[in-house]
Amino acid sequence: MNLDKLQVNACLRSGWQAVDLGFLMARAWWRQIYIAGLLPLLPLTIVLLLVFSQSPLWSLLFIWWLKPFWERLPLYIASRMLFDEEPGTWSNMKSLPLKDILPWLLWRRFSVQRAFDNPVTVLEELKGTARRERLRILHGRYTDVALGNQLVCFCFELLVAFGLVVMLDFFTPDTLGIRFYDNFGDLTLSGEWIYTLAGIAAITLVMPFHTMAGFALYLNRRIELEAWDIEISFRNLANRKQRATSHRAGMISVIVFAGLMTLTMPAAVDAAIEHDHESSRQLIESVLQGQDFGEERTVRKWRFKGWSEADDEAIPEWMIDFLEWLELFKDWAEVLSNIAAWVKVLLVLAFAGLLFYLFRRYRGPLSRLGRRQPEKAAPEVLFGLDVTPESLPPDVPAQVMALWAEAGYREALSLLYRASLSRLIDKYELAFRASHTEAECAALVRAHGIDSLSEYFWQLTNAWRRLAYGHQLPDSETIEGLCDGWTAELSDESQ
Amino acid sequence: MLDTRYRVEIPGGINLEAQVVGPVPRFFAFAIDLGIRGIIILVLSLLSIPLGSGGMGGGFFLIFLFVIEWLYPVLFEVFSRGQTPGKKLLKISVIKDDLSPVTLGASMVRNLLRTVDFLPLFYLVGLVTMLSNQRFQRLGDLAAGTLVISVPESAKPAAMQEIMPLAPSTSLLRPEQTSIIEFLQRSSQLSEPRQQELASILEGITHEKGDNGVEQLRRIGAWFLGVR
Repeated sequence: MNLDKLQVNACLRSGWQAVDLGFLMARAWWRQIYIAGLLPLLPLTIVLLLVFSQSPLWSLLFIWWLKPFWERLPLYIASRMLFDEEPGTWSNMKSLPLKDILPWLLWRRFSVQRAFDNPVTVLEELKGTARRERLRILHGRYTDVALGNQLVCFCFELLVAFGLVVMLDFFTPDTLGIRFYDNFGDLTLSGEWIYTLAGIAAITLVMPFHTMAGFALYLNRRIELEAWDIEISFRNLANRKQRATSHRAGMISVIVFAGLMTLTMPAAVDAAIEHDHESSRQLIESVLQGQDFGEERTVRKWRFKGWSEADDEAIPEWMIDFLEWLELFKDWAEVLSNIAAWVKVLLVLAFAGLLFYLFRRYRGPLSRLGRRQPEKAAPEVLFGLDVTPESLPPDVPAQVMALWAEAGYREALSLLYRASLSRLIDKYELAFRASHTEAECAALVRAHGIDSLSEYFWQLTNAWRRLAYGHQLPDSETIEGLCDGWTAELSDESQ
Repeated sequence: MLDTRYRVEIPGGINLEAQVVGPVPRFFAFAIDLGIRGIIILVLSLLSIPLGSGGMGGGFFLIFLFVIEWLYPVLFEVFSRGQTPGKKLLKISVIKDDLSPVTLGASMVRNLLRTVDFLPLFYLVGLVTMLSNQRFQRLGDLAAGTLVISVPESAKPAAMQEIMPLAPSTSLLRPEQTSIIEFLQRSSQLSEPRQQELASILEGITHEKGDNGVEQLRRIGAWFLGVR
């Protein structure tokens, strides 16, 4: 078992999520699973169908009954795929379907969590008391989910079987003369064959999902009990640290080596660097030509038929004529520039006059603009929390404890916190600004000079920050303490 | 790597994650909703008897039947955070595939296409399409661009043990810190030898062996939890 090669993401899952993971496993490895499943099933099916050719439903019953026998190889193959290993030797696989098979075909045939228990027999190869002990540890809180999986997969089998039959019925032309039922509503022989084949198809199609869901539940329990996820993460961490150490050692030796090189043969080093520049330039160019830098775009437009790119660039004839005509007035240019200068002066004067008029007109409001606002209003919202006194319930601690009891942890603590902020603004007239952070607010409270109050508020701020940003819940005693503190420090009765 | 995780990167480089939900829990949710709908229809049919089966009563009953059959999932999904009562019990919910709340249009599309998913009998098409893609979307989901995800449970208060915190000797990345915290919080579920085995992997960091290593790791975990 090499956890580095584990093909599924090891993390804690709920039972249902594990079942979903099992469905994904069946999806991913369906080829191997079907081959391993059909290997014993196909010959068995052919023999049974030949034997019971006059009443084929019996073969369906046998195939269904022998499920524990032929769904073992898929499980074994999946366990190898899980760690990206070779399927192993044939001799090992050959003995597998018959191992401890009798109980599974007799009294354990109706076990409601066969898929979940199977790995203990097939993969851990436990029997008797050892098996029972192992199952006792494994089952835990997953028995319901294992039962649910068994139930739903059975429903899926029925659904697929009847769905296939109905679909065939839809698509069989009446003229073909195949009748599924006789005049009394009983199955005809061809009807029996259709039902049998549909049933076998359904059992085969659902088998990988059912088996893998049980296997995934078993895996989930192992991940939980043996903390596979922690082991993988720890191994990665240890590897990273080791790599970092060896990398550092490598760097030092390179630097020493480079130093020696420059001392002994500087020309060679220069050549190496130049070559480096050249190759890196090429590399940069090739990267710049990649898709991420620049794009090609196809643009469609309407254009006249005889139009060409050159026409667009050419200066039209009449413009040249116009410029030549202007040349005739060369002497007038001086006069024109004089006029232009006067126009400029007039425009500047007009603009200045406009500014003067606007200033006169709006002098009153402008002079008021510069003056300070008489009083800065206390903020109504701090870090997204409404801190107006109107938004608070009459009895804050009682409300907090009620919310806490209803598991509204976040709401409870946020209410207590914003109630405190509101009181601090109201009662102690602390100048919180909307831009302050929680820690800055706490610092302001400390600067106010009441030690017990600042100590209390610091505790509350910490509890709030841990819950709000760190998702760390405080325990109930802490909350009770904080509520008592609130009554003592911040309620109406307190000093 | 196989996982039921579904990830969306939103503008700003933030990754949103959700766990997609497969056919088994959805089957149960559907069965529960089916039961609820059945009870409602039964009650309505009893109520409509006094109105007479031929005229008014029959008409009202048929209208209610239509509304319940076609709008029951839509109304719950749009107005109850993507959860019909059955989905609520199974702690799963419908959401758009960019992980924004499901809209009226999307919910309509996904529920109108139930008729196709139901074909030829008992949702065979739905089951097959669900298993033919990684996100377990049935045909209606694919058309509407919706997903069924599991609703994350809010954390319960964890009792903090009395442990002297210890600052780690080297810098650790965030997932590594998380795994050490996990080690502290789950150590009660792990056997003693397994704890020592896990701690021995990190001997390079704790510089301790055996029980002392376990203790050191737990103290580092407490430090990362913010105990000072």
